[in-house]
Amino acid sequence: MSEFTHLHVASAFSSHFGVTRPELMVEAAAAQKMTALAITDRDGLYGAVKHIGACLALGISPIVGVELSVVDDEYQQLARVVVLARGRDRGIGWSTLCAIVSAAHGYNIGEALSENSKKLQRTRKSESISIRRGELAKLIGESLGACTVLLGNDTDVGKSVLLGSREEAIELLEPWQELFSIPNALAIEVCSLLTEPGTEYSILQANRMLQLADASKLPAVLTNSVRYLTPDDALTADVLDAARFLEPLGFFQVQPNAQAWLKPAALMRSLAEEICEDRDRAAKLLQDTEKLADRCRLDPVGDCGWMKPKTPEKSALGIEGNPFEVLWQKTEAGMHWRYPGASEAMLSKIKHRLGQELITINKLEFATYFLTVADVAQMIRDMNIRIAARGSGAGSLVNYLLGISGVDPIEHDLLFERFLSTERSSLPDIDIDIESARRHDIYRSIFRRYGSNRVTLLSMQSTYRGRGAVRDSGLALGIEDDEIDAIAKSVWRLSAGSFRNAVGSKPELGAIAAALESDRKMNLLVDLTERLNRLPRHISMHPCGVILGDSNLLRMTPVEQSGMGLPMSQFDKDDMDPMGMLKLDVLGVRMQSAMAYAVREISRVRGETLELDDIDRADNETFKTIRTTNTLGIFQIESPGQRELTGKHQPTEFNDLTIQISLFRPGPMKGNMIAPYLDGRHGFASADFIHKDLEPILRESFGVVIFHEHVLRILNVMTGCTLAKADELRRSLEDPRAKPTIEKFFRTKTKERGYSLAVVERVWGILEGFSSFGFCKAHGAAFALPTYQSAWLKTHYPVEFMAGLFTHDPGMYPKRLLMAEARRLGVRILPIDVNKSSDEFLVEKTTDGLAVRLAIHEIAGISEAEVSRILSGRPFSDIGDFYMRAKPSRRTFERIAQVGGLDELRLGDFGPMHTRGDVLARVRQLNASKNRKYLDPNQPTFDFDFKDLPTGLPEPSNAEKVEAELQILNLDFTEHALEQYRPMLDEMGVMRSDELVDLRSKTDVLVAGIRVATQTPPMRSGKRVVFVSLDDGSGCSDSTFFDEAQKRCSHILFNTKLLLISGKTRRTGVRGVSIMAENAWDLRELWQQWLQKKEAV
Amino acid sequence: MVRVDEMVTVSVNPKGEPIGFGWRGGAYLVLSKPVRWFARREWWVEAARVQRGIGAGVLEVEMWRLVASCNEEKQQFELVHSFVGEKTIWRLNRVFN
Repeated sequence: MSEFTHLHVASAFSSHFGVTRPELMVEAAAAQKMTALAITDRDGLYGAVKHIGACLALGISPIVGVELSVVDDEYQQLARVVVLARGRDRGIGWSTLCAIVSAAHGYNIGEALSENSKKLQRTRKSESISIRRGELAKLIGESLGACTVLLGNDTDVGKSVLLGSREEAIELLEPWQELFSIPNALAIEVCSLLTEPGTEYSILQANRMLQLADASKLPAVLTNSVRYLTPDDALTADVLDAARFLEPLGFFQVQPNAQAWLKPAALMRSLAEEICEDRDRAAKLLQDTEKLADRCRLDPVGDCGWMKPKTPEKSALGIEGNPFEVLWQKTEAGMHWRYPGASEAMLSKIKHRLGQELITINKLEFATYFLTVADVAQMIRDMNIRIAARGSGAGSLVNYLLGISGVDPIEHDLLFERFLSTERSSLPDIDIDIESARRHDIYRSIFRRYGSNRVTLLSMQSTYRGRGAVRDSGLALGIEDDEIDAIAKSVWRLSAGSFRNAVGSKPELGAIAAALESDRKMNLLVDLTERLNRLPRHISMHPCGVILGDSNLLRMTPVEQSGMGLPMSQFDKDDMDPMGMLKLDVLGVRMQSAMAYAVREISRVRGETLELDDIDRADNETFKTIRTTNTLGIFQIESPGQRELTGKHQPTEFNDLTIQISLFRPGPMKGNMIAPYLDGRHGFASADFIHKDLEPILRESFGVVIFHEHVLRILNVMTGCTLAKADELRRSLEDPRAKPTIEKFFRTKTKERGYSLAVVERVWGILEGFSSFGFCKAHGAAFALPTYQSAWLKTHYPVEFMAGLFTHDPGMYPKRLLMAEARRLGVRILPIDVNKSSDEFLVEKTTDGLAVRLAIHEIAGISEAEVSRILSGRPFSDIGDFYMRAKPSRRTFERIAQVGGLDELRLGDFGPMHTRGDVLARVRQLNASKNRKYLDPNQPTFDFDFKDLPTGLPEPSNAEKVEAELQILNLDFTEHALEQYRPMLDEMGVMRSDELVDLRSKTDVLVAGIRVATQTPPMRSGKRVVFVSLDDGSGCSDSTFFDEAQKRCSHILFNTKLLLISGKTRRTGVRGVSIMAENAWDLRELWQQWLQKKEAV
Repeated sequence: MVRVDEMVTVSVNPKGEPIGFGWRGGAYLVLSKPVRWFARREWWVEAARVQRGIGAGVLEVEMWRLVASCNEEKQQFELVHSFVGEKTIWRLNRVFN
């Protein structure tokens, strides 16, 4: 018999342990004609679904298990064991395995397989992930032996075998045998990594385990305790070990050698013979291994419900009767809500579209799914939380009528078929954006509403990228922290996999390139960094995914604790489709929080109720604001690139926003769609529609194919296929192997329908190149809504809107840039005042109109407790009173004073006008006293001593104030931080950024400012271009650095905060101007030189 | 036990097991079934490069313990077989009396 099946295999999803991705492992096994392969990740089923998928694709049997730590009743470590699930038993093995893994993570899903396992209980006693032996035995016992535990070298038994005490080993084995007495529940794992005779994983240990199995009449199986695919991967395993132990190599017990690889059957056979010293016994060992493997071969469909959609039961949704009928009624009702007073013609158009969508939904039996999402959306709205749809779901009228999406798909010409069609049967993604600040509230409500047996959070695996890979490689090599920090910082948006190449070509990595010439460790660092690239690093809560299933959910997926405390699945988003799990994407969007905040402040301060979703979407003033390109704080179009595009594009209506958002993407940029579109729009070139049939489709984009929806319609019109079929064709276009078939179909059909060869050639050329470029219009339109809403708020309620931006910080820019924008808009910002500032940026009515008050928690280092004492202790009558009752720490006390937070207390009832210098002196006096004097609350608070402020100290200068503000608030409040350099800047003739728009193209200019953004967007040429945006108080300037310029200033290009840039202006549109940078300098260095020169004169 | 650490020339059988070696001018014949295992190298202090695909030879060496004799006297020897790229190197590590 030549068969061998590996039953103990860790994949790369055993984080900081396994090296090889499951797909690669399966591919190798299949190539070696193995007929089955197990995955047994450490502590979870993290790689299991990918493993099963790969096995199915290559026609071998998947086996799934886990490697877990087992403890005794006192939580003392007993063993690490492999637990394998039995297969083809209608999921009993699988669900028992899920329950075991969840239990090891502290979640007891109740009586494992009974119908009423409702409650999740946290039972974890210690921090480590482990399961008590009794609990493990109970779960397996209840399943009547649906899982098998393998006792190997890393167990109490295995260790005692090595020490040579046979009696002790037998004694230690007894409780295992007693607890796992059901047939097939226990086996001995025989494994040797060919280590030095007499040590762990030696032939000797394996041989004694075998003898023990025979003496105890337990089956023995052979494994290789695999943790990588090839011996070469052992080097990577060393680095992962270092990352796990947080120690450099040489400081901990490293793996014994490089033998834990996926050895081929022939090698495993000779290993068996070496261990057994007896051919017959070896043959039996291999036979028993296959016997267990056969028992564990999974049937993905029967065992795991592979691809079978799992949605909440009707009862959980509170519906009765046929779900489809309920859906039908709900959409009918939605029609009156969404289209009040629609004309007969319009209504019949709506009804026709609705009918088509409903037929598809019914055919796919997805009614429950839509009702579920609608139910969640309604729940969110009932919580008075803003909600918006995102993604292709906005193309569905049903979603619009159910209130899931807020964009009218008929008005915006969005296609349902892009979202859902009978040609595909996986559950569609309906993504929901909500206020970020309320995300956790919503998650908890979903758990409450549907029951914690039906809901779990989604997880995600973060992988090693540039910086992380450098850090962990550096740790393994014992390179000093500072040195690693410096290198990691210079690795900017770099794939670790091409580190060595990048070092040769990127100027800012010059120092590393030089080191590679002579420094051995640096070479190792680069090699190891490349090895770590893309390996899973750790699991965390997915930022927006919630899995919603039926009451069986926790038998289909293991769960563990997430960062926010709620349980999360060990499966990630790619595992959802195969597992048939319904994933709700509930994404917290800070802009939604910012807008909700603005709306609440409008209501609080002005008493006006604003329905943001109902505002006029053709407001001229709003588009005027956008066209100025002062789009900072506006959703999706505030980045430097979008600002430049806004200048060129000059949007005038809602659909323009949809187009603009969709154009500024890697695909359209690579596909060169922007320039022809703009040329058409501004009349520089007449639109070319290729054929009159395409004109209605491409009129909005001046002949440029931008949207997936365009492609669908073109295929529909030219070949006569349905839109659903068209979407299938579009998807297949992305697969180079499928392309010839589609081309043939396209050419045949278009010829039949009488299109000329020239037209067919041109259209095919566009379609062929389109696949990776286009964008889903529904997605663009869904995004355009908050874009428009935020622009509208900025136009009509700038104070409240800025307060919302400050409070929820939604954008890509630092707060200090918002401050500059507020200054530009004429929105007044009021300083911190301990009597008025709260934990939000409140809008305040003053005699000069509305203004925004800085929030108290902006003080660096202030604690939650301090904030709440200040808020509850207000009002404070004087500095002493504040000191006594708010009890600030010395540091916080001084910081509040430094930024003027106590200025309003200085007058008290007495005394002359004091300076902030006096206030600070008083604060320092109080801070200097050793014991804080506390007031007796029963005594009158009049304490003359505390009110007695020093006098005569100078007010700090503006430069000093700004410096303190930048340090403490990260804001320059008194004046723009650049102002202190003004004398030098004026002397040098540095331009203000708001002056640039009036310059001719190719004017030599100098600009200065604080870096607010650095971007390296994808370029058509493939060359790297660096965009740097500087804020100088009058607005932002955007500079572009090409190769040469990058080299000239590589040392400051990515890290220096205050910059001076020289270059030539480049006009890009009516309001668009950017700078082709030639060089850049560190402003602070220049300033020092300038000061020295001044002094010398 | 004596530490040696000298290069030796080794002849092996088709299974890769040493059957004899030359050391300090003497020809030694292996008399026992040699015992093999794999041990570690501290590549982080020795290796110049560890790029993907360099091979496990950077990390591990093959060790052989065997009884051999040149003339009359039988002794136990420990050989180290290391792999660096295409090259393999045999060294005599230790001699046990």
